[in-house]
Amino acid sequence: MSVPPAAFLAAGTILFVIGLVGALLKRNALSIFLSIELMMNAVNLLFLTYGRMRGDPSSHVIVFFVIAIAAAEAAVGLAVFVALFRSRQTIEVDRVNLLKW
Amino acid sequence: MTAELLLFAFAAGLAIAFALAMVVEKTPVRSVLSLVVTFFGITVLAVMLAAPFIAAIIMIVYAGAILVLFLFVIMLLNLNEEAREKDSRPVQRVLGLVSALALGGLLLGLTLRAGKPPVEPSALPGRIPALDEIPLVGRLLFSDYLFAFEAVAVLLLAAAVGALILSRRRMD
Repeated sequence: MSVPPAAFLAAGTILFVIGLVGALLKRNALSIFLSIELMMNAVNLLFLTYGRMRGDPSSHVIVFFVIAIAAAEAAVGLAVFVALFRSRQTIEVDRVNLLKW
Repeated sequence: MTAELLLFAFAAGLAIAFALAMVVEKTPVRSVLSLVVTFFGITVLAVMLAAPFIAAIIMIVYAGAILVLFLFVIMLLNLNEEAREKDSRPVQRVLGLVSALALGGLLLGLTLRAGKPPVEPSALPGRIPALDEIPLVGRLLFSDYLFAFEAVAVLLLAAAVGALILSRRRMD
């Protein structure tokens, strides 16, 4: 591996921060969800890098679980958005304020 | 040697550039398509980390299934006009950006400082031979992580049922 592991760590961290910025700044619930998916994949990349650094194949199993749980989360989350859109005609998080006050 | 570095720079640059495009982009459909390109980059990085099976899973499950699900929901909800509204809360946006960037700088600094590998990088090739990955992961899944594996199976079933119940129409 001629590329230093720190480069992979930096790439993963930068992707995570970009996802975090998106999750904080976007107001469309679907875009927030997309940013969270990006954050999960950045974490997967970090897991793979650390596993490679330690020579530990367990990291691949953990990434496998993260992907499976992300699939479950996407299914439930998108169903929530569909239900929300049916009752409120919007999924902008600023306008879904029933539980806010 | 240099080719590997070039490949890394290309893949990481692609992933980061399109991740930025995803955040900047206002239209949800374009955000999803940018994220697909980001996943291409992440897939290449995963292959470089000797994880071709995980790379294939990311491509098939994420880009192939989850993001297509996103596209379906976007088309179902017809979101294109809604995403173009003006920003309502500038203070929140500035605060969010500042705190996210501060946390990001902190994380990056910590990650790079803690990035000393416990084994020498030169000893790395061959520790997880690429072609041995699938039997290795399979053996771990069905021995050490068997309970977690079964729990995830139940979770997926519960999520599927929950999604069906959440998204059905009210039959009054």
